[in-house]
Amino acid sequence: MPGLGRAALVVALGLVLYAALAGAYGAARGKRRVVDSATNALVAAFMAAAAAAAVLLGAFLTDDLSLTYVAEHSSRALPRGYAFTAFWSGQEGSLLLWLLVLTGMGSAAVLLNRRLVRELLPWTVPILGGVATFFSLILVFVSSPFVTQPPPADGLGLNPSLQNPYMIAHPPLLYLGYVGLTIPFAFAMAALASRRVDERWIVATRRWTLGAWAFLGIGILVGAKWAYEEVGWGGWYAWDPVENAALMPWLVATAFLHSVMVQEKKNMLRVWNVVLVALAFGLSLFGTFLTRSGVVNSIHSFAESSIGAWFLGFICVVVAASIALILSRLPLLRAPSKMESLVSREAAFLYNNLFFVAFALTVLWGVAYPLVSEAVRGIAATVGPPYYEFFALVFGLPLVFLMAIGPLIAWRRASWRALVKAGAWPGGIAIAAGVALAATGSGARPVGLVGYTFAIFALAAIGLELIRGTRARRALERTGWIDAFASLVSRNRRRYGGYVVHASIALLVIGAVGIGAFSSSREGQLAPGQALAVDGYVLRYLGSTERQAANAVELRARIEVSRDGQQLGVLEPGKNRYLAEQQTSNEVAIRPSWPSGEDLFLIAEQFNEDGSLYLKVLVNPLVNVIWLAGVVFVLGSMFTMWPDAREQRRLAQRFADPEAYAST
Amino acid sequence: MRLVVALSVAMVLAVFLLYTSFAGGATDSLRPSQLAGAQGEVQLAGVVVGPVEGDARGAGLTFTLRDFDGPASVPVVYTGSVPDLFAADRHVYLQGELRDGVFVGVKDSLVTKCPSKYAPKSDDAAG
Repeated sequence: MPGLGRAALVVALGLVLYAALAGAYGAARGKRRVVDSATNALVAAFMAAAAAAAVLLGAFLTDDLSLTYVAEHSSRALPRGYAFTAFWSGQEGSLLLWLLVLTGMGSAAVLLNRRLVRELLPWTVPILGGVATFFSLILVFVSSPFVTQPPPADGLGLNPSLQNPYMIAHPPLLYLGYVGLTIPFAFAMAALASRRVDERWIVATRRWTLGAWAFLGIGILVGAKWAYEEVGWGGWYAWDPVENAALMPWLVATAFLHSVMVQEKKNMLRVWNVVLVALAFGLSLFGTFLTRSGVVNSIHSFAESSIGAWFLGFICVVVAASIALILSRLPLLRAPSKMESLVSREAAFLYNNLFFVAFALTVLWGVAYPLVSEAVRGIAATVGPPYYEFFALVFGLPLVFLMAIGPLIAWRRASWRALVKAGAWPGGIAIAAGVALAATGSGARPVGLVGYTFAIFALAAIGLELIRGTRARRALERTGWIDAFASLVSRNRRRYGGYVVHASIALLVIGAVGIGAFSSSREGQLAPGQALAVDGYVLRYLGSTERQAANAVELRARIEVSRDGQQLGVLEPGKNRYLAEQQTSNEVAIRPSWPSGEDLFLIAEQFNEDGSLYLKVLVNPLVNVIWLAGVVFVLGSMFTMWPDAREQRRLAQRFADPEAYAST
Repeated sequence: MRLVVALSVAMVLAVFLLYTSFAGGATDSLRPSQLAGAQGEVQLAGVVVGPVEGDARGAGLTFTLRDFDGPASVPVVYTGSVPDLFAADRHVYLQGELRDGVFVGVKDSLVTKCPSKYAPKSDDAAG
């Protein structure tokens, strides 16, 4: 079987190489049939990559320890469900996942836009093929998952901290995001290469960009949930370089999603948009590089590996080629129209872009700072969470503000008076809420109070906008509130889906502020029978128990929880000892309370030989609002992306010329 | 468009200056061999050398930290949370300060690098 896997990868390499070379030839000479053949090669490469992935997955499921990769990332006792996690827990499997997703999404995007690709943007196929060639080359020659060895008695097992259901979903979600950004990048570069710089490449890839961005966003959040439950230091985001690696392309992609609307509507920002999409793709490659190269000190830094230099080289090639292509097409991209007013929807999008990109660049600077300072001073220096938190605040608060008022500003030219009128109600609500919060004690943390007030401002603006729209529609259609609301949102899914996503971001801010500014913690040594009090909770240590699970010994402390004299049950934080892996893993206990969204978070730091326990307790207010925000984010994104017949007809009309196409 | 680029650059620079002027700068990340003469709080990264003794919840956990690729080493004393993966031969880093030849760690600052493989392999030595 390993031979089959290796063969499939070699075939995939040959096919994507053909897609790149023949595709480039066909595109340059305008030979449609060659372009079609290259497209077919891309599709076939997806099948070859799928075959290789199936072989590897089969090896994990059947414990084929003659594969070095399987032996190093799995063990016989590993529960079957974690075969998927084990698949992408190492470098080789991750790269195979990249190739699989890239060829799959690439083929689908090309096939769904077949006419567009064949006639207008034939360079799409060779660009996708070129990126896929890089990954295939590494998989075949540098870092193959199908290296064999004499089978050992048992495998080394899976990193215990990865043995968590969220880790099954987190890497593929992130990769769908990272890789998905290749699609708009390929279409944008193809548009430049074919000198078709109108907004068609944007329309054709809109859903792909949205999808990639949504996957990346929810992937980051699922990772945060995993970190919260499994890494167990009591927080959810630590500004670790690898977390930032996913955040940066997400921020730039968010900027891109907003600025393309300006190009669609006003035909402006054309250079800016291709720069953004290239930046987003470059950052997603950089993210993969950071995760896999170990160049920076990070909790995630996997053993330093041989592919770092390859990745850096490829990133340089991509960046250089993108810059050269953009520069050579600069005259074509000159905007035919100019911004008319600094108080207009397009200007609001522009400010939004400035803040997003500035934030992404400061995060990039923080991540790269150790490398830069090592090169300059010879000593690596790191910047910590205070650096990132400062910038999150400086750029985040204006963004929340823009998120609230942006949708209220008219295109082209808005009057200050109309703006003040539209902002008066949400502003009043936010200020009233802020005063109420300050009166009830939130003023102790000014940053938290400001954060809450801004988020409430955004939520109020969205809510009022929905009410206003529904009322107008109700008057127009003479129907009930519910029908009017349904009619309103279904008429413009993109707009109202966007509002839902905005609301999710406001919720995220509320949750982040809650845990960031208002959490409390205590720790201490407890003999059995002793208790610790924190924030109204009383935690009594009853003793410890030990039980045998499938592949681990579970040591648990029994903690009786009560609050204000009321019994709330027993929580069991503890540690798992994994036998095959010879590892210990902390298992925290979390008790959420509804509807306050507060978590009681227990960490059994240390079991002492005298029977006592070193316990750490955190009370995290509103942290569950963060996870709620994730759910709302997914719903909003799906609503925005849902196929819309009305929109299809509009687009078909808009592009109804001889070269037209109707898609997405 | 030039305006956009110029504005973003100006904004980043302005805010950055603002930051450095009152929020303080970065922490140096050193290896044991670079530690001599270091002032103030730094980050120290290296390989754990046993024996690992003491109580992280009491007087402190003591161990030695060695360069990834050299013999230079320094004794460390640390209190606070100990990550799951902490053990001899692991790559770790922590914040702290050199006092009388002993690196005194900041509470709860110890982080273990999370390896993707478990083989006691050449990677760890070469790191």
